[in-house]
Amino acid sequence: MTTLNDRDALLENLGLDAQNKAALGKLLNTGNIAQASEGADGRMKATVRINPDEICWDPSILVLPHGGDLDLELINDDQNTHCALLPSNGDKKFIWLVNHSKGRASLNLDGPGYYWYSSPSGNDEGRGLTAVIVVLGDVPPEARLDRPDQPRPF
Amino acid sequence: MTTSDYVDAGEAVDQGRLSGKVAGGEIAPPVTENLTYERILDARSEPENWLTYYGTYDGQRYSTLDQINTENVSRIGPAWIFQAGVSGIIAGTSTYSFEATPIVVDGVMFLSGWDGWVWALDGRTGKEIWRYKHAVPFDVSLCCGNVNRGVAVASGKVFFVTANAHVIALDAGTGKRVWDKTYGDVRAGESGTLAPIVVKNLVIVGSSGGEFGVRGHLDAFDVETGEHQWRSYMVPKPGEPGSESWPADGEAWARGGGNCWLTGTFDPETNLLYWGTGNPAPDFDGGVREGDNLYTDSIVAIDVDSGQIRWHYQCTPHDVWDYDSMSECILFERDGRKLLAHFDKNGYMFVLDRTNGERVSITPFVDRITWGAISRDGQVVPKIYPEEEGVEVHFYPGPAGAKEWTHAAYSPKTGWFYVPIQDVGATAARRRREFREGIPYWSAGVAVDIEEAVGYLSAFDADGNEKWRWRNELPMCASVLATAGDLVFAGEPSGEFNAYDARTGDLLWQFQCGSGHHSSPVTYAIDGRQYIAVPVGWGGWAEGFLPGMLGAGHGSALIVFALPEQTPSRGDH
Repeated sequence: MTTLNDRDALLENLGLDAQNKAALGKLLNTGNIAQASEGADGRMKATVRINPDEICWDPSILVLPHGGDLDLELINDDQNTHCALLPSNGDKKFIWLVNHSKGRASLNLDGPGYYWYSSPSGNDEGRGLTAVIVVLGDVPPEARLDRPDQPRPF
Repeated sequence: MTTSDYVDAGEAVDQGRLSGKVAGGEIAPPVTENLTYERILDARSEPENWLTYYGTYDGQRYSTLDQINTENVSRIGPAWIFQAGVSGIIAGTSTYSFEATPIVVDGVMFLSGWDGWVWALDGRTGKEIWRYKHAVPFDVSLCCGNVNRGVAVASGKVFFVTANAHVIALDAGTGKRVWDKTYGDVRAGESGTLAPIVVKNLVIVGSSGGEFGVRGHLDAFDVETGEHQWRSYMVPKPGEPGSESWPADGEAWARGGGNCWLTGTFDPETNLLYWGTGNPAPDFDGGVREGDNLYTDSIVAIDVDSGQIRWHYQCTPHDVWDYDSMSECILFERDGRKLLAHFDKNGYMFVLDRTNGERVSITPFVDRITWGAISRDGQVVPKIYPEEEGVEVHFYPGPAGAKEWTHAAYSPKTGWFYVPIQDVGATAARRRREFREGIPYWSAGVAVDIEEAVGYLSAFDADGNEKWRWRNELPMCASVLATAGDLVFAGEPSGEFNAYDARTGDLLWQFQCGSGHHSSPVTYAIDGRQYIAVPVGWGGWAEGFLPGMLGAGHGSALIVFALPEQTPSRGDH
């Protein structure tokens, strides 16, 4: 058995936190978590990057305080070419990220919920370049059910 | 290394630009600009188009096109195929299904897929004109698969709902969003799966999510602005008419289900929408919701202008078998009487007077009905149902019903209804649970039969007399299309798409589509050539209606059939 505090150490000891150690790729969802910042106009900003040899989006969990528009900066510090296919209302957004490149994506997500994105090149997704954008918040009041507050899961 | 050393990767682009499929200009011809309420009312006068979910407001799924007929249907073949495909990780990857009805307006097809996809296609070639993709959360609560049943088109706009309960208007020319409204609470387990219907200045949508213990509702929005016009709940609050059918104490009504998760029909003369409602929640534990539980499992007539309920007829009072009555209400007339026909999951065909909801006839339409019985005078007698905690009972039809959501058709030419039938049972044991928001609220363990599942396509007259039956080794789980060519089209779960003689039931033509059918075929014509279009893609809630096909491959193709082009046409429209 392990506890939450042991998680990072255990992943490292087992070799599941990097590519081509215990497994071929880096286990999904072993990366970092971060929050987007919000400007006065309500637009949100964040940066995700691919660090050298980590084959992982950093952060791999990006949290938005609410649905809306996100200006995302994408940086590839790796020594291989990757790309990103991102969720957005209207159409998915695609960008190539050659070695040591920096690009931008403007996304619209109406949350709440979480949305996967990845680098659909080779099997980048399976090797670790799969991440999520989590949108917090509730739906607008007018969309909620007319009923008393109901018990939520423990 | 400094920041300035980075290669500029630029701005992410729409994925559609890299598809190689977008036609020149990306703009659809302005075929929908003059698609008015009056024109939709008279949709049968333009059979070259399929203007609403059911083709016409009356829900008949019947076309007067007759170029393809009993004499020549054996010679039709694929004219074009649209492969939707997927990329990236979608919500409900294992349960997506292609369940849509295509809409066709003057040569342009508007089509929705699963996971927020909408396309405009050239109806003659299948070439993609534009596409829209809504971002659907991976964790959205979906009872029965990642599915969408189609779009509505009017006034230069395309309307559809998303799995996270938005109703969206797109510009029909460009596919760009015009307005976007949230009409359901995804945290409560609500979602959107139906095709909207446009009546007058309103686009009307219903909620999905009865399995999560929500309170079902219909919503109407202004076509032009998206401004909310009315909401009509299908479970009354305490003190409202019908609330006496719920426990006086507690909050069973607040979690009562009754969702409007399929498209209704409309009669301009009565000014009423006819909408079927879903099961009560929890599905199988009636002990926590004593009473008839109105307006669940009901046909509800709603004034389209105000959203007020005018009358209702409940098909399964106090349902403990998951027998939603959400399916089609087909409007027809006999002996001058304005009637409505409904084939319910509980195995009975209901014919009602649609002006007042008066019962005209009730007839069983499937062989095996053991859950209970409904007499011809409308008395419902339950016999077998999950009652005691943990005690298994077996009943027919299972929770997918003798007919699932997929639609029957009616031919005014023959006067008969053509019904896809599932003859499948299930075993259920009550397992009471506490309600928690956003968590499935079934209160039973349910296993649907894998063996002994059969089906048929049957023709019935308006009195419920079976005129012919085509038997199948598997349940029939796709909508039916009837045409003036005296043809009936229906797909099989195993992939065959079939054409039958509407008068005899003889199988006249068959084509293996490569994936099972769980959608709604349509017909249309361009420059005098008639086409038959069917979305093909097995999946959805297969564990509920045909678990014996859970291992079948998913598909994502729209296949369009026509006679060979060199064939002299007759009956050009």
